[in-house]
Parts: sequence; structure tokens; C-alpha cells
Amino acid sequence: MHKILLVEDNEMNRDMLSRRLTKRDFEVVHAVTGREAIENALSALPDLILMDLSLPDMDGWEATRRIKGQAATAAIPVIALTAHAMAGDREKAMEAGADDYDTKPVEFTRLLQKIESFLGSTQA
Amino acid sequence: MDGNATQQLMLHNQELREEVRTAREAAEITSRLVVEQFEETERILDLFKSANAQREAVLDAASRISIIAADREGRITLFNRGAERMLGYSAKEVLGKRTPLDFHLADEMKARCGELEGITGGPAEGIDLFLHYARYQVSEEHEWTYVRKDGTPVPVSMSVTGIYTSEKELTGFLCAAMDITQRKRQEESLREAMRAAESANRTKSTFLANMSHELRTPLNAIIGYSELLEEEAEDLELESFVLDLRKIRTAGKHLLALINDVLDLSKIEAGKADLFIERFPIEGMTRDVIATISPLIEKKANRLDLRIAGGLGDLTADLTRTRQVLFNLLSNSAKFTEKGAITLEAFLEPSPAGEMIVFKVRDTGIGMMGDQLSRIFEPFVQADASTTKQFGGTGLGLTISRTFCRMMGGEMTVESEHGKGSTFTVKLPREVKAKQEAAESARKQEGAKVGEKAAGKHGPNTVLVIDDDPAVHDMLATYLRKDGFDVVCAISGEEGLRLAKEVKPMAITLDIIMPGMDGWAVLGALKSNPETASIPVVLITIEEKRDLGFTLGASDYLVKPISHVQLFDTLRKYKHGRVAGRVLVVEDEKTTRDLMVRLVRKEGWNVVEAGNGREALDRVAERKPDLIFLDLMMPVMDGFEFIRELRANKDYHSIPVVVVTAKDLTPEERQWLNGDVYRVFRKGSFSRDELLQQIREIILCEVKPAK
Repeated sequence: MHKILLVEDNEMNRDMLSRRLTKRDFEVVHAVTGREAIENALSALPDLILMDLSLPDMDGWEATRRIKGQAATAAIPVIALTAHAMAGDREKAMEAGADDYDTKPVEFTRLLQKIESFLGSTQA
Repeated sequence: MDGNATQQLMLHNQELREEVRTAREAAEITSRLVVEQFEETERILDLFKSANAQREAVLDAASRISIIAADREGRITLFNRGAERMLGYSAKEVLGKRTPLDFHLADEMKARCGELEGITGGPAEGIDLFLHYARYQVSEEHEWTYVRKDGTPVPVSMSVTGIYTSEKELTGFLCAAMDITQRKRQEESLREAMRAAESANRTKSTFLANMSHELRTPLNAIIGYSELLEEEAEDLELESFVLDLRKIRTAGKHLLALINDVLDLSKIEAGKADLFIERFPIEGMTRDVIATISPLIEKKANRLDLRIAGGLGDLTADLTRTRQVLFNLLSNSAKFTEKGAITLEAFLEPSPAGEMIVFKVRDTGIGMMGDQLSRIFEPFVQADASTTKQFGGTGLGLTISRTFCRMMGGEMTVESEHGKGSTFTVKLPREVKAKQEAAESARKQEGAKVGEKAAGKHGPNTVLVIDDDPAVHDMLATYLRKDGFDVVCAISGEEGLRLAKEVKPMAITLDIIMPGMDGWAVLGALKSNPETASIPVVLITIEEKRDLGFTLGASDYLVKPISHVQLFDTLRKYKHGRVAGRVLVVEDEKTTRDLMVRLVRKEGWNVVEAGNGREALDRVAERKPDLIFLDLMMPVMDGFEFIRELRANKDYHSIPVVVVTAKDLTPEERQWLNGDVYRVFRKGSFSRDELLQQIREIILCEVKPAK
């Protein structure tokens, strides 16, 4: 079973996404803030990280940069998610080291395809 | 008497008679001529009188127009009532006594003389300027500043005409001027209104962008939960729930589409919409669009015809936007057509600017009338307000689509016939250039020389402006240069870092939200490099993240929109050598002196004061100042005397002297001063604020403080 770290500060969105992922047989670990994301990435060593970009304390770009900057977590694929959709968000996410980018509201099937492209088929 | 004598007498008599008749006729002709001549003279005299009266009447009636004539030496020969009213002098005071120069600002005269020299090649000075205007018939209206008798300035629109004798010899000139204070005021309030409107519009766009973001977050939950529940209801075979949940999801997605449109438009208006240029196969892209749009087209029993030319190859453009544009056009057609045909055509077309790819979307729908057509691309306007009710949509799709086409260097056009259908045509260059790239190449073009100049000219007070918006460059550079800073601009974070190392600026202003490397990343890089770590960084951004900014090492934080004063107050702290300079203020009037002293001190300079020329010389002897502000009319020793004494000492030649005076300078005095002083300010012709601003500029720009 693949483990996904879901970094999201909005409680409803976190709950909704983690339930849908759990239904698809993923193990879901949470983080609410940027710092927590870095800590949990290190302690849980997930197979993939879904990273919301606007977070309290440290934002998602910075958290991604740090996760990609430490050896233990550098190889974990990060998909950046943002409701911002402002100019340059995509480039900024990629610049920070994210492996892919998607906008919120999440289109779940599309997101699943992205996750699966990193992890291989999970519906085995 | 014999017959012969009688004969002779008769002949003689006849001759006499002839002569008398001739004489009488001559006299008649002469008198007639004289009378005629007399009458003619009277007629001319009459004409002249009435013309003169007419001239007087015209001159006086034009009470809003000042008409001043002068001879070649500049002596005033005519000063109408309008001139009296406008300038506050009576005709009696000025006729033959003054010159039109007395009503002009010295600086303005000098500037205009300079301009004229540029045109004619020859030198011009003082009254010659007007004669030159007349001679070269440079008589079109110019804006000038008249100075009234009481010293207040009046903006006027003035034209100069030559006065000639019948032998075409120029004997003088005539200046006709109209007071344009009102017009100026209107222009200014118009500009002010424009500025306010633009700023309001930017605020609105920023608000909308933020708002859209705020709306998308709960919408994410609504759509997500309804999908989640829909799946669960399916698992539990709760058919009726499934249908209702699907309605919630569909409504949520519709709402999202509307928000996306509004967001797109506000991004466009805020100038924050960017293109993501990539290379993609045209046929693959159209295939995607068709797959998405097919259900919509079939919904109203329409047929989709494809006429995609073979071998179209690749397009270099923003894939998402191109797809969005085609999708928008096809879904419009699907919306407004029933049981008809919709055609998508794609082909290549050569053009002078390179190859263009053309997409045409044609339908057999309801079409539009002429006046509907003309408004179809305006935001929030659909062809008919009622269509919104019937067909839905925000009315933003076409506005957005066309803007994206234009951003990519293309165009969108429409043809339509009411009742028969519409054809939308999109033309895009095969190789679209990114905005940034285009801007950078434009910068490079004007580039080399500006770059060289900039490189050679990085003074100790250089500010590096890092912002992705060239408009911000322009604005900040204008402000900063006015305040005596040198300015270097970078369009991206990367360029900013490079320039920071190259130029070693005194301070950096940094935008946060930039494509590519954002401001936070730039700040981090600056602070982690020992070469640039000590340069103060002022963050200028719309985001209120002060604490984060200071944590990461920013020195100051300004939230957009910023004012000139705010910027200056923030940056002047970092100015080099700001306390080293010494300024001498020479002025007998205490209030004015105090005002100037305060102002100069505020700029961080040492100030010494003197109440007259004698005291001033003493102060100079104590220690040489870097700049002198000098009044002319003072007791004990006046300004002229002071300058004479000062210039007599070679050591003091380099001290710039700025004359600030209320005195009405004669041309000779002006002439005399020109050689010796840096600049002359007329107290009356500047508002206090203007004068202060000028003084500040001089202090900042011209005086190199002692190390």
C-alpha cells in the first residue's frame, strides 16, 4: 500500500481528499503547516507528497524547497496544489522543486492519474 | 482799318478765344481732379479712422486675451486691456518703459532659446527670441508662463507674430496670449481622475483575484464532497441520491467555470496574466478539444464537421489558452445552434511576420445583427441581455479569448449574418514569443548603449529595482531619479541577482510575486551570498507578509500601492554620505531662513546660517560649504556684492550658489548672475512645495558631499 503525505491547512479539504484517497487504498498521513510537512516527510517517509501552496507559517514553496533540499526526502515526488492560479504559480512550484502541479478545486480523476504516473498502478 | 488788318484781328481774336477755352477746360479738369483727390483722401481718412476704431475695439474687447506689441529693441508699443487685466500693470506703466521679457520666467526664456537654437542653428537670447519667432514664422501657439506684477504665475497659450513695414522690414512683434489657468486645472483634474480610476481598477482587479481564490477553496470542498458522496451512494445503490448529488456537483462545476472566467479577466486587467509558452502538435490539441466538446455539440442535435488541413505540424504557444479559446468558440456555437452544423477549420497562412495558423469556427445558428456584432467582445456584454437568461454564461468568454489571442500576438475576428450563423476566426503566429522574452529582447535592442551608460554610471547612490512589470520600473525609476538616485532595473529574479553582484547597489527594491524565481527566493539568495548580503533590501509587494520578510532579512517592507514620499523616506536612510555635507543658507528674512534650514537639515545635511552677505563671507571663511542658498536683497551686504566677493577668491569658485529671490531681476542682473550662480529661483513664481522640491533635488543631485 502506497503512503501519501497530504499537506493542507483547510480542514474540510484535508478530510475530503484523505477520505477519497483512503477509498482508493492509499495510506494517508497529514500535515497542516509547512513545518509539519517537513517533519512528517522525514518521519513518515511517504511515497508521494500532495502539497498545498498557501499554508500558514512557511508556505508550500518553501516547504517543498526544504524537502527537496534534504537528502532523506529529496527523492519523494511532490505534486503542488494551489487555489491561487495566479500568473507564474506553476513556474514557481516547479522552480521550488515540485515534480508536478495541479490547481484546486481538484479534479480527482486527473489527480489520481498524476499520482499513478509517479507510483505505478495502484489498483492491482 | 484796312481789310487785311481786320482779317488779322479776327484771327487773333479767335486764337485768344481758343486759348481761353482751353484754359477754362484745363481749370475744370484740375478742379475736378482736386475735388476727386480730396474726396478720395477723405474716404481713405474715414476708412482709416474706422479701422483704427475697429482695431481699438478689437483690442479692448479681447479682454481675456493679452495683446502686447513691442519694437525691435523690446520697448512695448501696445498693451491692451486684456494685458492690463492679465498682468496687473496699466498700459501707462509699461508703454515705452518695459519689455515683454519682464513678464516671462528667466528659466523658461532660456529653455525656449535653447529650443530655438536647436531649430535654427543660430544663437538666440532675450528679446531676439521673439523676433526669431516672428522671422522664422514659428508662430504656432506655445504654452508659456506669464508673471504678474505681484509675482504670481499665469499659464498662457501664446503666439508671436511679426510686424512689418510695407517694405517688408521687420519692425517689431506682437504677442497674443490667452489665460489657460482654467484649462490647466481641468487637465490636471482629468489626469487626477484618470489616475484614480486606474488605481481603483487595479484595486478592483486585485480584489477580484483574491476573491476568486477565496471562493475556490470552499468550492473545492463542495465539489469534492459531492463526488465522494456520489461514489458512496453508487456503492450503496442509492439511485435517487446519486442523481441529486450529481446536480450539486454539476452546479458546483458551473460556478467554478464562472469564477475562473472572472479570475481570468481580473488577471488580465491587473496585468498579471502570463503565458506559458510550449511547443505542441496542432492536430493533437484539436483532437483533445473535439473530444471534450463533442457531448455539448450532440446535446442540441448538431453535427460537427472537421476540416483540419494535413501536415499542420507544431505550434509554439500557450497550450492551455489556445485550447481554452477553441473550446470557448465551439461551446458558443453549440449553445446558439440547434439541429445545425458546426465546422472547425484549421490551416496555415503565410504572412509578412511569419507563418500564421488560422482556426475558423463556423455555425448555422441564430447569428447576430450589426450592432450586436460590434459589442460582442466587450466584457459582460452578450449579443442580447436576454441571451444570458436563455443560454447562460458570464459574457466574459469572448473578451478573455480575444485578449489571449492578442497576448500571443494573434487576433480574433467575427463575421455573422442574423438568422444564418456566425464565423469566428482566430489567427496565431506559429511561433509565439513569451511576453517576458519579448520584453527582454526589446530591452536588449535599446540595450547596449543604455547598458553601457548605466554600467559606467553606477554612482554610490544606485538603487536596483527588481520587478517583473516594466511599468513598475518606469514609475520607480522616475521617482528615484528625481530624488537623486541612479537606477538600474531587472525584469526577473535571475537578472536581479546578476545585477546585484555586478552593480553593488546602495539598496535594492524587490517585488515578491514574480514568475520564475520569486522575491522570497531572490531575497534568500541575496542574503546567503557574502558579496550581496550587506545590501539593504526593500520589499515592495501587494502581500502583507511583513514578518516573513523581516525574518528572511529584508530591511524594509512597503505594501503596494506606494507613494513617492514613502519610497523616498525609506530609501534616503541608505544614501551614502548623507550627513557629511555642509549647506550655507543666506537670507535676512527669518521665517524663510528657518523654513529652508529645517528642510535642508531634514535631508541630513549640516546647515549654517547667515543674515546678510557679510556674515555669509565670515561663515565661508570658517569652513567652506558644499552649497550656498542666497537671497539677493539683504541689508549690510546684498547678494550681488557677496557673489562678487566670493568669486574673487579662487578657492571658492567651485561652490554652487543657488539664488532664491523675490527680486524682479533686470536682464542685466540676470545676465550678470548667469555666469556665477548655479540657478535662480524666483520666490513668487514657485509654490512653496515646488521650491522645496527643487531645493531637495539640488541637494540630492548636484552636491558631492565631502568624504
